[in-house]
Amino acid sequence: MIKLYDYELSGNCYKLRLFMSMLGLEYESVPIDFYPGREHKSDWFLRINPLGQLPVIEDEGLVLRDAQAILVYLAARYDTSRQWYPVDDPRRLGEVSQWLSFADGITATASAARLHDGLFYDRDIEACRTGAHRLFRILDDHLWFGEQEGCDWIVAGDRPTIADIACFPYVILSEEGGISRQDYPAIRRWCDRVKRLPGFIVMSGVFPAGPAKAA
Amino acid sequence: MSNATHCSDRVALDLWHPVAVIEEAAPGLVHATRLLQEQLHYALFADGTAAVWRAEPALRIGDPVEPGMLPPALPVKLAYGYVWTSLGNPPAELFAIPEWEEADRRRLHAATMGVKVSAPRAIENFLDMGHFPYVHTDILGAEPHTEVKEYDVDISVERDEILATRCRFFQPMASTASSGGADVDYIYRVPHPFCSVLYKSSPVDENRLDVIAIFVQPIDEENVRAHMMLCVLDEDNEDKIIKRFQQTIFGQDKPILENQYPKRLPLDPRAETPIRADKSSIAYRRWLRDKGLTYGVIPAAA
Amino acid sequence: MFDTSPHRWHPIAASSDLVSRHVFHGQLLGREFAVWRADDGFVNVWENRCLHRGVRLSIGINDGRELKCQYHGWRYANRTAGCTYIPAHPADAPARTITNRTFAAVERYGMVWSAEQPEGEVPAVAGMEEGGQLVLRPIPLNASADRVVEHLKSYAFAPSAALDAQPVEMAVEGGGAFSVALLARADGAATRAAFFVQPVDSGRSVIRGMLDALPDGADRVTVLRHHNQRLTELRERIEREAARLPAPEPMQPAIVPVSAELAEMPELTPSGRKAALRVQVARKWQAAEGIAALELRTVNGVLPTFQPGAHIDLHLPNGLVRQYSITNGPGETDRYVIGVKREAASGGGSACVHDTLRVGDVLAISEPRNNFPLRRDAVRTLFIAGGIGITPLLSMALALDHSALSYRLHYFAQAESQMAFADRLAELKGNLVPHLGLSPEATQEKLRETLSGYVPGMHVYLCGPGPMLEAARAIARDCGWPESAVHFEYFKNTHEIDDSSSFEVALARSCVTLQVPAGRTILDVMREAGIDMPSSCEQGACGTCLATVIEGEPDHQDVYLNDAEKRSNTKIMTCVSRAKSARLVLDL
Repeated sequence: MIKLYDYELSGNCYKLRLFMSMLGLEYESVPIDFYPGREHKSDWFLRINPLGQLPVIEDEGLVLRDAQAILVYLAARYDTSRQWYPVDDPRRLGEVSQWLSFADGITATASAARLHDGLFYDRDIEACRTGAHRLFRILDDHLWFGEQEGCDWIVAGDRPTIADIACFPYVILSEEGGISRQDYPAIRRWCDRVKRLPGFIVMSGVFPAGPAKAA
Repeated sequence: MSNATHCSDRVALDLWHPVAVIEEAAPGLVHATRLLQEQLHYALFADGTAAVWRAEPALRIGDPVEPGMLPPALPVKLAYGYVWTSLGNPPAELFAIPEWEEADRRRLHAATMGVKVSAPRAIENFLDMGHFPYVHTDILGAEPHTEVKEYDVDISVERDEILATRCRFFQPMASTASSGGADVDYIYRVPHPFCSVLYKSSPVDENRLDVIAIFVQPIDEENVRAHMMLCVLDEDNEDKIIKRFQQTIFGQDKPILENQYPKRLPLDPRAETPIRADKSSIAYRRWLRDKGLTYGVIPAAA
Repeated sequence: MFDTSPHRWHPIAASSDLVSRHVFHGQLLGREFAVWRADDGFVNVWENRCLHRGVRLSIGINDGRELKCQYHGWRYANRTAGCTYIPAHPADAPARTITNRTFAAVERYGMVWSAEQPEGEVPAVAGMEEGGQLVLRPIPLNASADRVVEHLKSYAFAPSAALDAQPVEMAVEGGGAFSVALLARADGAATRAAFFVQPVDSGRSVIRGMLDALPDGADRVTVLRHHNQRLTELRERIEREAARLPAPEPMQPAIVPVSAELAEMPELTPSGRKAALRVQVARKWQAAEGIAALELRTVNGVLPTFQPGAHIDLHLPNGLVRQYSITNGPGETDRYVIGVKREAASGGGSACVHDTLRVGDVLAISEPRNNFPLRRDAVRTLFIAGGIGITPLLSMALALDHSALSYRLHYFAQAESQMAFADRLAELKGNLVPHLGLSPEATQEKLRETLSGYVPGMHVYLCGPGPMLEAARAIARDCGWPESAVHFEYFKNTHEIDDSSSFEVALARSCVTLQVPAGRTILDVMREAGIDMPSSCEQGACGTCLATVIEGEPDHQDVYLNDAEKRSNTKIMTCVSRAKSARLVLDL
């Protein structure tokens, strides 16, 4: 079974819990005392991931770190529908990769602001917030024009991709870093759509959406 | 929002406030925190003592210090795993948690978290059961079991604290031993305007209660650090499992607290709409009003 | 600083922002709004805080008919913003005056317009045709509205039919404190644009623009991108300039306090048998054989919030007053729909409804009163309706159905043709179980089957003819249902009222002692003494005139209280019940 080195309040770990839930994958969660224990910087954990970061998975002998990389692996290995990581469509595959990097940018800004405000990490909070707003403007613009063309997801197409999963957690948690989403109505609508995907689960700090239509 | 740069509320100044976690601060070095809009420095020493002082340029964060070379110190108390201080004239004693002394209990600091809310809003949420099915879904409550049954609230004059008893709420996984749900008993104490202590049925010993406390450090009127302490009967779970549970719960409360408007707790009865389930919150607001507390609240019009 | 008048209309959202089952987070002049469109299309603009603990409703759930707060699950109805359910007290009907603050909402030119206290109509925009315009992507920016308006006057763009044209001739055609109208001409093409600057807060705005009709051949998205690009560049310039100045203090909109009555824990509110509302019969139709349905709509204003189980008093043209349950589903707040069965032994009430009332008639009704509240914390709910007893249970079933809670509606009727509101019943799909044409014995047997299998946490709601209710209650008792789980509503009290006793009633809080002689009711005597007491059916069926007994032994003659409540001697229906003891002390 897949083993996930996990911390409940980590948005990057949540990406994987969320995605595995959507794929219907069973996994074992190994809790890491990220805060306040800093167990991810302990000797035993550094042997698993020398970068001292969460998440990490182990699967059939493979040890893999980095949330985006793990999303790629899980989609390529376990998604029989081929929708989440469209390897057969070079254009969309390129776009997915582009937005996976964008998700790293969200982590570097919105997640950093959240760590500063919630867990007292030493960060330049104004720079983090400014950077996150810059990215959110780009994302809102992109999603708004997507809506105009009838597209619900970050990468054009009928179905969501791992780009949506990679970007969602630190967007939805942004207010914990003092980054309001009030000015991003298209992002707010996209968040509702992600929450209505089959298999969606919440984490602490994320509320569920109601049903999309009458039962 | 008040724009005062310092706290001038005598009630808040004279309280003991938690400012640091004893086990987290490396001894012999200067650490920093904020309290009531003031920058404080503190240090713990190998002999088990601690000092807290108003930050001044001569000592910087990370500098090594010894007890003899400190600026004029603020009052200090070490209790329940935390360093407490005061910017005014604090009472001789901090409130008692007798269970802390019981030898067979696990004493844990679960986490300190920053929350963008006033201290009284954080305490009021801690006293609230009605949100369990909605905010702590499938952990502390689950629909359709949403009823808050009648409970009792008293303000003890002699101990100057609020006590809510006979509180019961349906919990879907009442204990690890049973798979079904059941009513769980709670007792809430508010012995300090910014601290609350919860007693909850112990899953391992039906005659005793687990203790979960929240000690709120007001950074300013609308921002806090919440320190969470556990003092529980549990021989099976690793520390980190117990901490994870508490962090999960608090992490669920956080976005609710950060979406309350206004952030300061309104003491005017007509600011919000109480129901019977809110007895403890009504008592708490009245108690704060009677104390004349103004910090982190919107005082009722005279 | 710009004009902060609360009377001026401003756009606060694009119509397209309000997608199905979403809550838009809006703000105007510092005041935050939760803006949501119900499934019936109605646009709600509400103060963005739950009245209970101030939590933003923009993080709540739009279920299509109601908005649910994330903190404690309080539900607020579409249109009225009245609270319909408080889960912490599932057995209570919430005081209907718990109503969130609502603001005007008008949809025009593809935008939603609002104001705190609007005066006049939403302004007409010269050169824009309703429905024909192209709404641009809104551009939020960190700068004050007056600064933005100044910059917009020099906004340049190309006509939609000639996006690559150079040069473009720009003209300012008009504008005001928050608006600019521009005309772009090039290569014989022209496009008119109108921009409104929404003052979000002192230092935050949204540019909301629209173009006149999209010319043939122009690609909509290309035109939208053309403007988005240029407006984004304009935003950069404006924000750079604004950032050089100190940020203005955010505005502090006042929060209107709740009523003094709501500030304390709920108590009985005194009111007599009142008909405070005027409604018009908007539609009248045959809901089933022998059952007339009336759709009542308000003559002016909005109808008060109802909860499932609530009834209204209908004051008929012939002077009679009758009680009818509201059959509406949740969030259907623009009308009340009632069903009235023609009674052979009618005292003239049902005959008047059937024969005399016409569409367009104006009637007086009371505010909805709920003495038959629906709990939503049951593990499973049974509804058992007999005949016209369907009416309150239909509303309840629709509410549970909409929230996907577990229930079954058993409907006993003589024939399918007598099942009322077939269209609404169809919404319940497999949860509707009709039982048709059963004899009294077969009905009993079916009731026994239906009520067997009680498990703790189940609740049953009964409404139908007296004998059926008596039977169902007895069977429920046999099947192990506790009285607290059996809820019922009689149409009328068929018991012979014995009013031969005489006794004394002391009203503890009013410090009054009254003599009740034979032939008169407690309610009558209290009214005469100037004690205002709400009432409705005045025959011991509806529960409105309930009072708490402090001392003495009541002589219960109603059909509202259940046996345990009667035995406890702590409640009394003052319209029919009397005293066995010489004296009763009531908490009034």
